[in-house]
Amino acid sequence: MFLRGSKVIPVAIPGTSLAQPSSAAHNTDGIFEDLKAIQREFGYLPVDKLQAIADARSMHVREVYAVASFYPHFHLTAPARVNIRVCTDMSCHLRGANVLKRQVQDRLYGYSGTDCSIREISCLGRCDGAPAVLISSKTEEQIYDNITSDRIADAVVRNLSGEPLPHTRPERLRQELHSDPYVGTPKYRVLYSLVQTGDFAGVITQLKASALRGMGGAGFPTGNKWEIVRNCTDNEKYVVCNADESEPGTIKDRFIMQHLPHLLVEGMIICGLVTGAKKGILYIRHEYEHPQDACQDEIDACYKDGLLGKNILGSDLDFDLSIFVSPGGYICGEETALIEAIEGKRSEPRNKPPFPVYQGLWHKPTALNNVETFALATVILARGVDWFKNYGRKGSPGIKFVGISGEVRNPGVFEVPMGITYDELINGYAGGPLPGKTIKAFAPSGPSSGYLPASMLNLPLDWDTMSKPPVSSMVGSGAIVVCSNEACMLDMALNAVKFYRNESCGKCVPCRVGSQKLVDMLTSWTQGKQNPTDLQALEELNQALSLTSICGLGQIVPAPIQSVMRHFRDEIDAHVKDKECPAGVCRIGGS
Amino acid sequence: MAPTKEITLTIDEQKVTVPAGTTIFDAARINGIPIPTLCHQQNETPVGVCRVCVVDVGARVYTAACIREAENNMVVKTSSDKVKAARKTLVELLMADHPSPCAREQQSNDCELEALAKNYSVGTPRFAKRLTPSHLKDESSLSIMVDHSACILCDRCIRGCSEIRHNFVIARQGKGYAAAISFDADLPMGSSSCVSCGECMVSCPTGALTNKKVLGQKLEQGAALSGLSVEAQELLELPVFKGVSGTFLELNKGAVVKRTYRKGEVICREGDYGSTAFYLVEGTVDIFISTPRAHVDTEGSQDGFLSKLASKLKPRKEHQREEENTARKFIFIDAPVDLEYDHPVAKLHAGDLFGEMTCMNFYPRSATVVASEDVVCLEMLRNVLDVLQKNKTFRAKLDADYRVRALETHLKSVPVFTSLTQDFIDHLRDRVELQRFAPGQVICRQGDPADSFYLVRIGFIKVSEDHPGGELVLSYLARGNYFGEIGLLSDEGRRTATCAALDHVEVVKIHREDFREMVGRFPQVRASLEAVARERIEENRSRMHNLQSVPVDDFLKQGLMDAQSLLVLDLDRCTRCDQCVKACADAHDGITRLIRDGLRFENYLVATSCRQCRDPLCMVGCPVGSIRRRNSLEVIIEDWCVGCGLCANNCPYGNINLHEFPAPAGSTGHKATVKKATSCNLCYDHPEPSCVYACPHDAAHRINPPEFFGKILGGKQVEGIPYSMAPGMMDRRK
Repeated sequence: MFLRGSKVIPVAIPGTSLAQPSSAAHNTDGIFEDLKAIQREFGYLPVDKLQAIADARSMHVREVYAVASFYPHFHLTAPARVNIRVCTDMSCHLRGANVLKRQVQDRLYGYSGTDCSIREISCLGRCDGAPAVLISSKTEEQIYDNITSDRIADAVVRNLSGEPLPHTRPERLRQELHSDPYVGTPKYRVLYSLVQTGDFAGVITQLKASALRGMGGAGFPTGNKWEIVRNCTDNEKYVVCNADESEPGTIKDRFIMQHLPHLLVEGMIICGLVTGAKKGILYIRHEYEHPQDACQDEIDACYKDGLLGKNILGSDLDFDLSIFVSPGGYICGEETALIEAIEGKRSEPRNKPPFPVYQGLWHKPTALNNVETFALATVILARGVDWFKNYGRKGSPGIKFVGISGEVRNPGVFEVPMGITYDELINGYAGGPLPGKTIKAFAPSGPSSGYLPASMLNLPLDWDTMSKPPVSSMVGSGAIVVCSNEACMLDMALNAVKFYRNESCGKCVPCRVGSQKLVDMLTSWTQGKQNPTDLQALEELNQALSLTSICGLGQIVPAPIQSVMRHFRDEIDAHVKDKECPAGVCRIGGS
Repeated sequence: MAPTKEITLTIDEQKVTVPAGTTIFDAARINGIPIPTLCHQQNETPVGVCRVCVVDVGARVYTAACIREAENNMVVKTSSDKVKAARKTLVELLMADHPSPCAREQQSNDCELEALAKNYSVGTPRFAKRLTPSHLKDESSLSIMVDHSACILCDRCIRGCSEIRHNFVIARQGKGYAAAISFDADLPMGSSSCVSCGECMVSCPTGALTNKKVLGQKLEQGAALSGLSVEAQELLELPVFKGVSGTFLELNKGAVVKRTYRKGEVICREGDYGSTAFYLVEGTVDIFISTPRAHVDTEGSQDGFLSKLASKLKPRKEHQREEENTARKFIFIDAPVDLEYDHPVAKLHAGDLFGEMTCMNFYPRSATVVASEDVVCLEMLRNVLDVLQKNKTFRAKLDADYRVRALETHLKSVPVFTSLTQDFIDHLRDRVELQRFAPGQVICRQGDPADSFYLVRIGFIKVSEDHPGGELVLSYLARGNYFGEIGLLSDEGRRTATCAALDHVEVVKIHREDFREMVGRFPQVRASLEAVARERIEENRSRMHNLQSVPVDDFLKQGLMDAQSLLVLDLDRCTRCDQCVKACADAHDGITRLIRDGLRFENYLVATSCRQCRDPLCMVGCPVGSIRRRNSLEVIIEDWCVGCGLCANNCPYGNINLHEFPAPAGSTGHKATVKKATSCNLCYDHPEPSCVYACPHDAAHRINPPEFFGKILGGKQVEGIPYSMAPGMMDRRK
């Protein structure tokens, strides 16, 4: 009922039933479902409908607006009938996204702004099929990779005349996966035996022995994390899986969810049983339609088989698992920002401490891990600690999924042993540089790792070697992006900083203002202009960003330009001193 | 409670002991170590967003002292060179986009950001300035100025609004560098649910939210006016000011004056201009209209046009004019009561507020108020009234007063509702909603589903229809009028016109369910409403019809096509003998309503006389609602005109005049003369207007523009295009 006081507020939204928050204290819970329902019906979010949501949830309209205006996925005014969004981040940038965008603009010249709009968008998670494009209409949203302007224009014109957008198919598996312990055997073996033995502490012991760490990039030991949550005395605890990978180049979780969803689901259930959490949430980015389907199918099957829900496999253990589709944004991948998003708020990171293991979702202890971490936990428990440790090379234990994209012949996601060299990954697995090109640089983990020169290709995929001086980069999420001799490294630094600027939540001053000022400064450098104060100012800005930002996003903003300053200083000097872009990418002078 | 555990830590090499749970910021502050901050205030929950208070606790990154709890054995560095350098960079980043000196710095020299910049010797920022502001200045609030370019998103106003005041209006909107504060669903502050408590501008560290000194004026004080500026503290002790921010009152000192009046003293006079409202603190007053209820009538025989005739004031009982609104028994005034036509005197008591319309919309006073015993009242300017009206306590009292005292007379004074029974009025009393609208706000939009019926309580409503070329103003509705019935009575149930607030408006909203019950129970009300609705529809239709065929010409730009009826002089025939003007003057007490000058078109002069415009600006603002339009579209001035002259000022063509008459003997007024407005009435009681009649050369004509100009432009009716699409009209309507 929508009664409030004595006043009857007409909130009946035709065809749209509003979700009910789980409780009065959690009145923001499920708000994105309301917003999505309204956007599906009207194409955007009219203010009176925001008011209706606020009334139904006993919220103030300012809160609903604050949330709705935070996520670019929601339109506050009527959008064009067809919206074309071209990804221009790292891999897509390297593979001609800007050319594609111009071509699409040319092809659709003459259509009005109310018919279609063409803009840029942040990484869509299709780096191995760059350039990627998202096309959306009022009712549909499709992401296309390896696409041409002809096909885009064709789809748009057809859609404007009433045809649906062409559908995409789930990606196919190109290689056999060594990590899957269940090929040809029944799945969920670990879970079955765990329910029987009840040896939850043993799980933690094994994880600790395996030295498994968080695969999202931060690398916190998984066993320790689960142990802390397990030791918390609260009745209410949560397991959350971060499947919001949005950093340019990062596509491994997409791959795992598509091809190994059972390892992820089993890992989350086990985590629930070990930590004592009764509820798990798989937080997945909305651009991952097919992986989401794969996971949902897996979850449904588990409920059917009694592996999820009340009294798992006849025991007195309960665990529920559901998918939460992200309203979108790189910042949602920050663990506390992700929690805020699940709670139906603006996805702004919290000040830490307290850490989520103590106060996470709804301020309850929360075991929050990356997709790969949960999947590898299952692998370790199924195959044994020794198998896992021995899989790696040269003293780097373990197995890793890496995405290789950019200017290589054979981009994709690969399951590789730790300790393998980047040379082998790029020139072996990914087939080496594109024909006629040579490798100039590579980013071991998207913009966050900065760019390393080709001379460092012999480095191993090893946590310590990569993060400690003299390398001072990171294995991170294994988002390897390769730049050829035709790339301008200053331009690539600017491209990376722009990504952070676009994705900054704006909560704290250094990141909100600093990322913009860094974009301004680097932009003028690419135009051959450098103030005498710039280098000193850059140094101080980098310090402020990395030391005072609330979360990892702001702290990592300086990484790309710092790495280019370090390894490709001559390219910067060519721009600002000789007024020349050596790669011929930046336009200098021109007046 | 268990004894508080204490912890010991080192801050800047000083060992300090504080209770567990103390933040680093407080631990330092208690021990005399100041840590600078922009986003933190002692009375608000810390958020740690400005990062200026960062300190080094030996971790990989710095931590915000305001939000981080101190821990046992923690070693904190608050002002190492590295910490200070990072802090300085943050200030420099903010200063790069700061409009220095900002409004706060200019007003009171206390912008916290600019002070910090000076402290940290931040010179000219080395970073590029923001090119385009994400949001423009918002000047819509009467009391608070919003300059987004000075906003540093410290969230202090947001917490002030929600945590301290529980108003929940301000929030962050947008993301990243484009993020900004917003009011409700990103409304202009003045249109939002902001109650102008002033907490946000008190919380704001910069010039983003500052006090707006309304009108730049202060109320006069002094012995002669027996006024005394009131201290904020004294005001806050009055129940009506409960919940109003003391800081706001402090900042607006002089905008409220306490006045005392002896018995018999005049507080304000009808027709006078003013900009203040009065709140009665003690005593009672009489509120009345002293101007005689009568209109100007020119007497004379029908054959004596050139003889001097005298105009007289005649009440409607003596001289019944065609279509005069005789059914109306009440005169609406700017007070919580309405006055009876036959005996326009009422009493107001302590706790009553009057002069709201004058104060909010600068309309002349509608009635005279005299102290009937010794009286204490507060006279206030617009910003204070606005704050009061938005104050929940006061609002509730005003609403309750209205429901108890005014709703009944308000309803009964509207002729169509005279048949409502007492029990139904009682039923409505608690069910109606009182709503306020800021100038320009749309109350209902053409095409929207009709869900309620409205009575105008304060201010003016503009009723307009959308047409391809722009909007067409159908009418202006003042107090005593109502709207929204057409949509509710029709089968489609949709709004047929857009109704928007022209100024500060208050309406009484009757919900559809109650409206249905009313028309169901009272067939007479239904019949009257339907009759008026039909009339309105018919009027609009005939107006549209008139617009269907008009010539396309520059002439339109001069607004003449707005006119229903024009006096034109054929300059080929006119000898400039001025007989028309003399005749008019003779016919109207020596005051001509005709000036032989005006716009020229070919060989015609359009003389200045009432054009009976389609957008009759003269009707806007009449404090007693005495100027209205007959259905024939001529303007008529009702008997209760108080002679303020606002309509004469408003008429863009100078066609309304004021006539002065000696005050009738025994009148309750305090003036020797009374004034009444008149406009050209086409000498309706004569076979022909006197000016036309008087012209010896047959040069003067009273014409209908579309017809007439259709004829002269080519000798026949010109195929027209819809009025609204004519060249120039679209610009003019914007």
